[in-house]
Amino acid sequence: MRPLAEKLGQAFGLAALLLLTKSTGLAKPELSGEQVYSQLCVKCHGDQGKGVANEHDEPLVGDWSIEKLTRVIIRTMPDDEPEQCVGNNAKRVARYIYDTFYSPDAQMRNKPPRIELARLTNRQYLHSVADLIGSFTGQSEFGQSGGLKATYHNSRNHSRNKHSIERTDTTVDFQYGSGTPVPDNKEYKAEEFSMRWSGSVFAEETGDHEFIVTSENGVRLWVNNMDLKLIEGWVSSGELHELNGTIRLIGGRAYPLRLDFFKYKSRSASVKLEWHPPHRARQVIPARNLSPASTRSTFVMRQPFPPDDSSAGYERGSAVSKKWDEAATFAAIEAANWVAEHLDPLADTSAKNKDRLIKTREFSYQFAKRAFRRPLDAEQQRFFIDSRFAERKPVTDSVKEVVLLTLKSPRFLYPDLGQADDYSVATRLSLGLWDSMPDDELLRAAAAERLNTPDEARQQALRMLRDPRSRAKLRNTFHHWLGIAHAEEIAKDTEQYPNYDKSLEADLRTSLNIFLDNIVWETAGADFRKLLNSRHLPFNERLAKFYGAERVKNMGEFGPSFFDHERAGLLTHPYLLALYSYHNATSPIHRGVFITRHVLGRSLKPPPEAAVFKDEAFSLEMTMREKVTELTKADACMTCHEIINPLGFALEQFDGIGRLRETEKGRPINTISDYLSADGSAVRLTSAGDLARLATESPSAQNGFIEMLFNQVAKQPVRAYGPGVLNRLRRDFATSGFNLQFLLAETAVITALNGIDPAKPIERN
Amino acid sequence: MNPLARRQFIRDIGVSTAALPFITGLPSLGLAATTPRRQRLVVMFSPNGTIPKNFWPDATGSDFELKEIMKPLAPFRDRMLVLNGLNNKVRGDGDGHMRGMSCLLTGIELFPGNIQGGSDTPAGWAKGISIDQEIKNFFQSHEASRTRFGSLEFGVGVSDRADPWTRMSYAGPNRPVAPTDDPYQMYQKLYGQLRDRDSLLSILDEVRDDLKRVSKKISAEDRRLLEEHAGFVRQMEQEFGRVDSNALVSNPPKFEAGITNQNDNVPRLSRMQIDLMVNSFVNDFARVGTLQYTKSVGQARMNWLNIKDGHHGLSHESDKNEDAVDKLTRINKWFAGELAYLAKRLAETPEPGGSGSLLDNTTILWTNELGKGNSHTLRNIPFVLLGEGLGFKMGRSLDIKGAAHNRLHMAMAHAVGHHLQTFGNKKLSQGGPLSLA
Repeated sequence: MRPLAEKLGQAFGLAALLLLTKSTGLAKPELSGEQVYSQLCVKCHGDQGKGVANEHDEPLVGDWSIEKLTRVIIRTMPDDEPEQCVGNNAKRVARYIYDTFYSPDAQMRNKPPRIELARLTNRQYLHSVADLIGSFTGQSEFGQSGGLKATYHNSRNHSRNKHSIERTDTTVDFQYGSGTPVPDNKEYKAEEFSMRWSGSVFAEETGDHEFIVTSENGVRLWVNNMDLKLIEGWVSSGELHELNGTIRLIGGRAYPLRLDFFKYKSRSASVKLEWHPPHRARQVIPARNLSPASTRSTFVMRQPFPPDDSSAGYERGSAVSKKWDEAATFAAIEAANWVAEHLDPLADTSAKNKDRLIKTREFSYQFAKRAFRRPLDAEQQRFFIDSRFAERKPVTDSVKEVVLLTLKSPRFLYPDLGQADDYSVATRLSLGLWDSMPDDELLRAAAAERLNTPDEARQQALRMLRDPRSRAKLRNTFHHWLGIAHAEEIAKDTEQYPNYDKSLEADLRTSLNIFLDNIVWETAGADFRKLLNSRHLPFNERLAKFYGAERVKNMGEFGPSFFDHERAGLLTHPYLLALYSYHNATSPIHRGVFITRHVLGRSLKPPPEAAVFKDEAFSLEMTMREKVTELTKADACMTCHEIINPLGFALEQFDGIGRLRETEKGRPINTISDYLSADGSAVRLTSAGDLARLATESPSAQNGFIEMLFNQVAKQPVRAYGPGVLNRLRRDFATSGFNLQFLLAETAVITALNGIDPAKPIERN
Repeated sequence: MNPLARRQFIRDIGVSTAALPFITGLPSLGLAATTPRRQRLVVMFSPNGTIPKNFWPDATGSDFELKEIMKPLAPFRDRMLVLNGLNNKVRGDGDGHMRGMSCLLTGIELFPGNIQGGSDTPAGWAKGISIDQEIKNFFQSHEASRTRFGSLEFGVGVSDRADPWTRMSYAGPNRPVAPTDDPYQMYQKLYGQLRDRDSLLSILDEVRDDLKRVSKKISAEDRRLLEEHAGFVRQMEQEFGRVDSNALVSNPPKFEAGITNQNDNVPRLSRMQIDLMVNSFVNDFARVGTLQYTKSVGQARMNWLNIKDGHHGLSHESDKNEDAVDKLTRINKWFAGELAYLAKRLAETPEPGGSGSLLDNTTILWTNELGKGNSHTLRNIPFVLLGEGLGFKMGRSLDIKGAAHNRLHMAMAHAVGHHLQTFGNKKLSQGGPLSLA
């Protein structure tokens, strides 16, 4: 607080002024907005609203309308004596503040954001290295899902078998008891038999995956790395036990898998193949994640990285640190050792081959070229490749140094160094849509200089959308948008919600992913609005039963399910409702904040005073709405909560795990409230449907979504690409029928072509 | 220097924790003179039994003569202790080979299981810990004898399967320890981080050079980021460069590239592994080692001895087949030759920080799964000790007249100060440790 003397002096000065004007009866001196600001505001808010240490640290910027700004000033400012600034003075100072530095336009005028040099984000690094090596070994693919290829033999030894059966098993979860796997078949005796399940497994999200095989017999499991067993359990003593192995997998890709099994003279036989993927409960690997078709292995880097800077709301490679440099170094070492160990198959040569040296050099050149995303000039070739080879130096040492030098080079780590040529377009497209490096087709187009016009770029973008990596990146983007990227298991009170268990929750997360995938990739039009207003959700049998939905049969395991009450897409998906709730109650505040920021695209400052929600502080008959209203009624709170609360209240008929409820504490739920939008108009909300309408029709909501997507694609602020980009995109998005694939491709094209002059020849640096 | 003092020393010379992965676990950077005498145990295994008449010395006592198979060990006769008359008395599940292999160092029965041998009931893994792991645990539990790895399990030509024929070391019941039969893999385990560091140091200068060149072409505002990056690269160069590779008492051996795990490379692989083991003793990475040649029922074809037949097949020929007997004698003599090489390397390598040679402080136990191949007998298991590590009275040949081999294991444990009352099967431990000192 300011020293008393100063305060008194201030008050005295102002009082004197007012007294003077009153007593002289002259026309009141109309102070300009700027004058009011310098008299009443600058002491705390600083020059140009920059802020003052120990008073109000944060810059005075935001997205409130001028009416709201005026009202807030009248009600609450100056902080200790709001009555000092009211009426016309308040109006004028609000106008001054708004135009000079507060509004988004003013902010842009004062400090236009620019495209900054950025290194690869962690996700980009992981995918780039996987695809760099994949460009030599071949990419993995996920075939038709539905289970694993299964071969059954009637002996314990596959090679000595006399009879075999081949079929597809949807999952591996069998209890044979003391019998055989094919009881009708007399060729099979209980004493010995063996099986092999093979194919591939699809990982949904990136992270450590634990695989668990439960059996009393001999088992062995390979996942991704087919040279090294993940689980070795061939020798067994007839007691049921669990064996596990953990391996890091990249989400959105498929990996080869093989499970061998044999029984010999044990009392009984059984086998169960489960996994425990990131963000999900342990379960038998479901058929939708298995394919009988095998595929190639993928190089998945194990080295952990420190988290990227997410202060702008999305992950950016805008900073380096010692920890990051160390992680990138150890990652390069990991890759270098792997390449050296697998040199012969990679370089298509062999240990005693005469041309091993030549082949290794050729491989090294290709490696560096793909890593740098453009050909090397003669000087670079000498620097990165030739100088690492020497007479009598083992080629494995040389190739190790090439890999180290390449992956530690800024030409790999900082993908866009401002060259602004066709290769830049290729790089930006692949980073934007895949978070990875250009594929052969992109590089060929760049080499032929056919990648510098909007049509050419668009053509590539549309092709790239069909690659599974686009799906994976968009899913990752959506997860960040919805705040579920790092969500672990949501702890719920078992007394309140007795049947809400981890398996149900895993199903909900799957349902959410399928909901997103269906709208973007499986439904014509890829209509963004359906994300928020869809009246049906994809539920499996268990979910449909739990939430009282009617599931359409024969439309897949997670078929569209309809409700007897109004649902509105993501806004009422039980997974999100459960996430944005307390463990034993709803939380209109969390839901309201989520919708304010992420759905309506409005900015919110952190609360001036942290207030903890203590249920015990309220009387027992109060509903959640009443408690929240009571807790946030102070003026200082209401500046934001008058926006947040109505949004949260509109969803109050969905309980803490997303079920519909008619009453709370014996009274019908009140979901009606008035929401004040950014442009100053009031909207009456009564239900989730109203919320959906607000979210899909409001321009600032659309802008918020587009900006979120743009940030994820470009990893740069949208206004750095020009002041009109956001609005232009919104118009075109609307014209396309809010087609999400269109938006994604168009965003990628805009970022890819930024600063590209088709007339300029490719700069060979 | 004990591990804690080492870390402090490293901190004092200003190396960051990031450099620590490269250098923790490196041997003492200087030994105190008052360190107690080091003791080491190496267990060497060869399969398929021996030819008793060409192996066991006729006389007992200190006046014994080495037979044909043991002729390569002649320079070490006075440092040897030959133990005839020790039987593997463990019965239960599994055939002779399985029990020969997996009960050899454990002295305890196998679990019933699903692995069927040539005869008898199917079996699983051994029910207990092996003596090499038992002694390793004992050493690791005392600061004076604790080392980076405790024990290192080397193999030569072991197949890629995990079953009771390929495992003689056990960390506990149902917990077999796999030998590493790829010398490059073992090298990576022991020295990989050092090699990584060397590779890294050889390119960090170029990385900074590269950063400088790239910086020239970008805007002034963006240059700041690359300058910061370059700062970290320089820091890393300084930190890693400061760690003196002479901190190792002995540099790792240089390996020829491309010696793959194939039958005909066995002699080369054997020498590579032995060199690596000796070197790891000098750098005090471990005090216990095993050296496993192939596996139980190993079917190596000793082409380098002009023997085309598989080892196991030969071992089943009758005693009357003179050709087979001759070949088997030469095969076992070749194993003895490898043992002689190991002993020679240890004998000619000075004990770091102490007096004498490594062999003065190491005892090698050469053993086998069976007494004789064609009968699968588990009586008179070949046991030859070499070296003074355990403090036994050497230069003798003894006949223990049918004692259980558990008692030899107990004697070895007692010799390092680990006073086990039983080892493996309790009944078979009766009588206590053999007195061999």
